[in-house]
Amino acid sequence: MSALRGRFNSAAGFLDLARRAWRRSTRFRVGSLLVAAMVAMAVLGPYVAPYPSDGWGLVPRNAAERAGKPPCLEFPFGTDNLGRDVLSRVLVGARLALLQIALVVSVSLALGLFVGVCAAYYRGPVEALLNYAAEVFLALPAMVIALALRLALGQGFHVVVTSLILSWWPWYARSSYVYARAVVEMEYVLLARLAGVPDRTVLLRHVVVNVLPPVLVQAITDLGSVLLEASAINFLGLGLPPDAPDWGIVVQNGFKYIVSMPWVSMFPGAFILATALGFSLVGDSLREEMDPKMRRRWKLWF
Amino acid sequence: MVLAVEAKELSVGYEESDELLWAVREVSFEVREGEAFCIVGESGSGKSTVASAIAGILPPHGVTDGELRVGGRVVVRGNERDYEGVRGRLVTYVPQSPGASLNPYLEIGDQFYYVLSSLYGLSRREAVEKARAYLRMAGLEPDAVLDRYPHELSGGMQQRAAIALALSTGARILVADEPTSSLDAHLRLQIVELLKRLRAEAGLTLIFITHDMLLAGALSERVAVMYAGRLVELGPTREVLRKPLHPYTSMLIESVPVLGVKRPLKAYTGEPPSPGEPSGGCPFYERCPFRLEVCASENPPAKEVGESRRVACWLF
Amino acid sequence: MPLSLNYLVKRLLWSVAVLVGVVVFSYVVIILSPGDPAVKWAGNPRGPGAAKAVEEARRELGLDLPLHLQVLNFLKMVLTGDLGYSIAYRQPVFAVLTRNLAATLELLFAAYLIGVPLGSLLGVAAAMRRGGSVDGLLQTLGLALASTPTFWLGMAVFAVLFSAGFPAYGRVSTGLALATGFQAITGFYLLDALLQLNAPVFFDALARLLPPALAVAAYPTGLCLRLSRALVADALLEEYVRAAVAWGVKRRVVVWKYAFRAALPGLVQVAGTAFAYSLIDAMVVEYVFGREGLGRLLFDAIAFSDFKLAVGLLVLVAAFYLAVNTLADVAQALIDPRVRL
Repeated sequence: MSALRGRFNSAAGFLDLARRAWRRSTRFRVGSLLVAAMVAMAVLGPYVAPYPSDGWGLVPRNAAERAGKPPCLEFPFGTDNLGRDVLSRVLVGARLALLQIALVVSVSLALGLFVGVCAAYYRGPVEALLNYAAEVFLALPAMVIALALRLALGQGFHVVVTSLILSWWPWYARSSYVYARAVVEMEYVLLARLAGVPDRTVLLRHVVVNVLPPVLVQAITDLGSVLLEASAINFLGLGLPPDAPDWGIVVQNGFKYIVSMPWVSMFPGAFILATALGFSLVGDSLREEMDPKMRRRWKLWF
Repeated sequence: MVLAVEAKELSVGYEESDELLWAVREVSFEVREGEAFCIVGESGSGKSTVASAIAGILPPHGVTDGELRVGGRVVVRGNERDYEGVRGRLVTYVPQSPGASLNPYLEIGDQFYYVLSSLYGLSRREAVEKARAYLRMAGLEPDAVLDRYPHELSGGMQQRAAIALALSTGARILVADEPTSSLDAHLRLQIVELLKRLRAEAGLTLIFITHDMLLAGALSERVAVMYAGRLVELGPTREVLRKPLHPYTSMLIESVPVLGVKRPLKAYTGEPPSPGEPSGGCPFYERCPFRLEVCASENPPAKEVGESRRVACWLF
Repeated sequence: MPLSLNYLVKRLLWSVAVLVGVVVFSYVVIILSPGDPAVKWAGNPRGPGAAKAVEEARRELGLDLPLHLQVLNFLKMVLTGDLGYSIAYRQPVFAVLTRNLAATLELLFAAYLIGVPLGSLLGVAAAMRRGGSVDGLLQTLGLALASTPTFWLGMAVFAVLFSAGFPAYGRVSTGLALATGFQAITGFYLLDALLQLNAPVFFDALARLLPPALAVAAYPTGLCLRLSRALVADALLEEYVRAAVAWGVKRRVVVWKYAFRAALPGLVQVAGTAFAYSLIDAMVVEYVFGREGLGRLLFDAIAFSDFKLAVGLLVLVAAFYLAVNTLADVAQALIDPRVRL
């Protein structure tokens, strides 16, 4: 199984993999710098933002004179129609963006891993039921789940996060299931089961340890995709309330003024793009690093 | 004397994640036109790499050194390779596993079409017409094969189809890389007989790669023995079989049963060194029953023995 | 034929089973969320007549029945296509949905007709130069295209075109449609205009379709670029490519008829799944460009708290996903001679 080759089994192994990728791949370096910048913004954003209260979505007192300023020295990204500094909104928004995607991916991954491994290990009706549940949620994009939840629960953080988790866990369930099936059928796992090692021990020590690495690398890439979906949900007003410090919301704030004040939407959108690209670059080059065949030099030889 | 293939100090390596592994080291040999030439060796001896180099299908991460001529054309010089106008025109190839070597998405007829249109600009109809002749030559009923996909054919039929495709190119040098290793025993003999017959009928130069000393004996006029990337012995097959010079060749011969000859089979222990291992001395040193002191430190150069034989061993 | 009736029947049954799961999920959302399910189903009515509307909704949902019968009742409602009247449109929900579906599909088809061939071509170009700088650039381009927020890209395209004097708003100029007597028959305006030999409307609709289609095409272009690069690069290492090269097959033929041909089934499979998910992208971009379509319904469902419309959208999107994936599997069986379904 090619995806299990070149795997890492510990945090040290992962670091080693990352170090090799750093040495070899420009795309990995660019990606991790983008991700690092994003994390730094998430941590420091509110402290370095020139107008933190603008950043949180409050309308400044002198709104009328500040409204709709194009990018200038004082407001590098300009201001929106309510006079809020777009740079501050972007900087403060990074934290919420990171929070949403980290929460969604970690919970979906945990849930999916659990479901996938159980399905592969116990087989029979458990397997059938779990696969069915996964298929049902695969058929439902996050956006329409968010629509239903928005109507049922109103606006809010919980709507974005829940709808994204519901639509993302089946992907992890599916890939964990495929990897776990390969591991469960390996001889040493069978022997461990025959020898009477408790299920929980076998699952944790053998199955999860082997399934996790490729799924984790996938999850890094997914952080970017989840950010795109979360932003779209917030942009459409299905998730966070209208003035929340979220990039999708800021893009929405500029929607009506896209022709007269394009900067309001363009800057936060560019940050969504850069962050999503960063995660994809990192995930993609790590996956390439894990598969020795993909690393080979190549020229068209015929 | 016209040479079909001429290798001078040919080395071939592969770049594997940061390091360069040499699979073939400084190999020199000649194959005469119309000759049946065998390269014998264990897996990992570099024999398939030599076949790939001759057929022009070294993978993209391959690295070369030395010189190789095919049909008089220089195809390898240093790390430069140029097979333009050589592949399919001067040299053709019978692959190891026919199942993987036929395009699974194309009917056999289409595969003939793409070969023949590339080489001679034939139309689909002309190509199929020509394909019929070659399929018959390879012992297949054309109508049962032409509009089938490879997976619908049996292993033996696939190999015959691959041979017919190889022949259809019209090239006069045929490189067959263990064409029988993936087949059942009874099919093996059929395929070998077929190659022998085709060679005789069409007057081809046959370069046959195998690990089977017996097969080499049955098929070839001259044989080259390879071990750990080096050519250790070269000579007329009959003489080599009757009186091997290199200890490794003796080992190969003694470890196969010969019909009608009663003698104990000898099993030699040990494994060939892996291509990454740096060795100053003879690669066979570890396993050799006759090793000398010099063998550990210096690789033996090839030495002419008699008129037609060559061996790389310090014993000579 | 590589297809069996048996397979199609099985696939259909499975799709129905999954749809049942989707419907049950939406019912769970309605009854488990805080508040009176009947009030939600009636769309939070206000004013006189509100009490009556809620009573009506309670009866429709069968809230007096035991739970399992409620679910069965709901299933019957949804799967027979009888979701009642949309609060936002005062028309049957399914009529509203089907009327708006064609517009979104038109956009989606246009986007995929641009994105899939373009991405695949670039992917082949990258695979032929694997590991080189062109490959690195193309791969980064692919990732960037797949990482672009579609709604944002749509807005950028719109703003640029607007500044250039072309407001690509809506699906067709109403004035032009009225003046030329244009009738919507299938809902696919390009097709309708062709059927009526109405050139002005055709070109107007096309000019308004292309900009949003470009925005929606970003994702499939990036996806196909990366996928075809990976699949073609893999195929180029296959034994049968080596053999074909040794037999003197031309490079162009090897790349297209051998390597790209081998990538096709995988491309169809993944592009199929992506097509289903891009429906959402198309809906979002429709909103940006002010086109009538499913995206508009999404908004009206929120604005009017139209739960019926929301459930209808949910089921429609899931059904679309299932249908597209079945079609992708069938298409794969048709182009991969080794697959039999």
